[in-house]
Amino acid sequence: MTPGGGLGPPAPPSPIPHAPGPLPAACGIGLRAPHVAEFLASRPALPWVEVHPENYMGGGPAIAQLEAVRRSYPVSLHGVGLSLGSDGALDARHLARLRALADRIEPCLVSEHLSWSVVGGAYLNHLLPLPYTEETLAVVAEHVGRTQDALGRRILVENPSSYLRFRHSTIAEPELLAALVERTGCGLLCDVNNVFVTAHNLGLDPVDYLDALPAGAVGEIHLAGHAANDADGHVILIDDHGSPVAPPVWALYAHALARFGAVPTLIEWDIDIPELGVLMAEAAAADRLIAAAPAIAVATEVRDGHAA
Amino acid sequence: MGTLRELQAAIGSAMLGGDAGAAAREIEPDGLAPDARLEIYRHHVLTTLTSALEATFPVICRLVDRRFFAYAADTFVRAHPPTGPCLFEYGDSFPDFLAAFPPCRDLAYLPDVARLEWAMSAALHAPDADAMDPASLTDLAAEDMRRLTFAVDPSVSFLDSPWPVDRIWRATQDEDGASNDPVDLASGGVWLEVRRAGDVATVRSLAAADHALRTALARGGTLEDAAAAARGVDPHFDLTAALHSMLDERIFTSFAVST
Repeated sequence: MTPGGGLGPPAPPSPIPHAPGPLPAACGIGLRAPHVAEFLASRPALPWVEVHPENYMGGGPAIAQLEAVRRSYPVSLHGVGLSLGSDGALDARHLARLRALADRIEPCLVSEHLSWSVVGGAYLNHLLPLPYTEETLAVVAEHVGRTQDALGRRILVENPSSYLRFRHSTIAEPELLAALVERTGCGLLCDVNNVFVTAHNLGLDPVDYLDALPAGAVGEIHLAGHAANDADGHVILIDDHGSPVAPPVWALYAHALARFGAVPTLIEWDIDIPELGVLMAEAAAADRLIAAAPAIAVATEVRDGHAA
Repeated sequence: MGTLRELQAAIGSAMLGGDAGAAAREIEPDGLAPDARLEIYRHHVLTTLTSALEATFPVICRLVDRRFFAYAADTFVRAHPPTGPCLFEYGDSFPDFLAAFPPCRDLAYLPDVARLEWAMSAALHAPDADAMDPASLTDLAAEDMRRLTFAVDPSVSFLDSPWPVDRIWRATQDEDGASNDPVDLASGGVWLEVRRAGDVATVRSLAAADHALRTALARGGTLEDAAAAARGVDPHFDLTAALHSMLDERIFTSFAVST
């Protein structure tokens, strides 16, 4: 376990062995392009980082920098491009590229989303909402299974942020996620900000939502900021990852930790990206809550891993 | 709505600016019109893909101003959405789109500047490859030389234009533009090679005959055919010197003898 408190003097290089192993129950950050050079130069004291694999599927400086990061930190690959919820076959080329990147980077975790982005050969660059039906469950379960088979490892599936619900949905989102875990053996990435945003936008109770998730399956938590937009006099929360984590989301996070145990956590920030220190301060705040949480209920499964 | 397939087709249409009626009918209003809910998603799709194009074509964005770029990009995205999730690979058909986009008709050089930007972006993200050892050619029989073909470094591409697109590109790199002389659009055509060097994409000007030689080789042509193309441009073209230059520059990753 890494003690709380992410701020401090820069750590010496390579404090963490290269071999993939279980993540420490501590808070990392989503590493984005504007921070990579500074990150490599200053080697901040952070337990792990997460990146979008779609940005590292070419050659040149990007993948070289990711390999340099990986030499010193555990790296999680958080995909946005597999489109687990699209009707029809997964993009075989993309899955093969993900496999190749995972072989090269040896990520501590691989995750994707309960959503879809691809239709008719077009990639829409958004985590689009699914109707929650038996048909959807079957499609997503099939795709999660194929992904896990291709990668030779378990993946985590993240709950999306939602701005609408479909008339013909028959299954509540946490129940669908629980069924997915049951059918595929996947784990869950619980984005607490997404739970808060979705619950507000769809009139749900966010605590009930968390309580309905299978606690032992949650292998990672995401935290991020959201925006409040006025739409025709109706306040809609937008999951824009462009501000600090909101106070009610911190409170919901404390509840999540009490229920799921001290789960590895991540701060995401994707627009109006501030200086690295701001993200580190957010991670330190999460670490203080993790330190007060019970030890993890079920270890994050990592093949050939050993105790941290 | 019947199947997931039908629902996704309906939402796909709504996201790219087509008819949203079929998708809206499947959504619970919950106090806000279904189309307003769809608009939240549509806005994200169109603005993030426009941003992706802006990241790949920053010089075009400066040349036409940001608002016009957003308009052109939005039109392009609706007609030509990405076909895969790696957005650094998105935009290869944007130069051709600009060439056919009526509001750009007066900016005849714009598509070629876009082709240069695309080549630079492609160079930056091209797969890593090791250059071939020039010494591996030393044992080659003389009669095989003319039938040589080469694989060129994946980051290398060639471009020619009747406009001085390299100078136009450079002129936009200075933030205030004050220290730049105006680019004379009538100053003649260019033959360019784009390649990744270290962490950056580089552009250099070639003689027309060198451009002809290298372009022919990059397309898989034999050394003999490529030399003929170069001599078509410059009857005094020195093939031996040109071949040594390319080997010194480590532009090839492998060779074969065509049968």
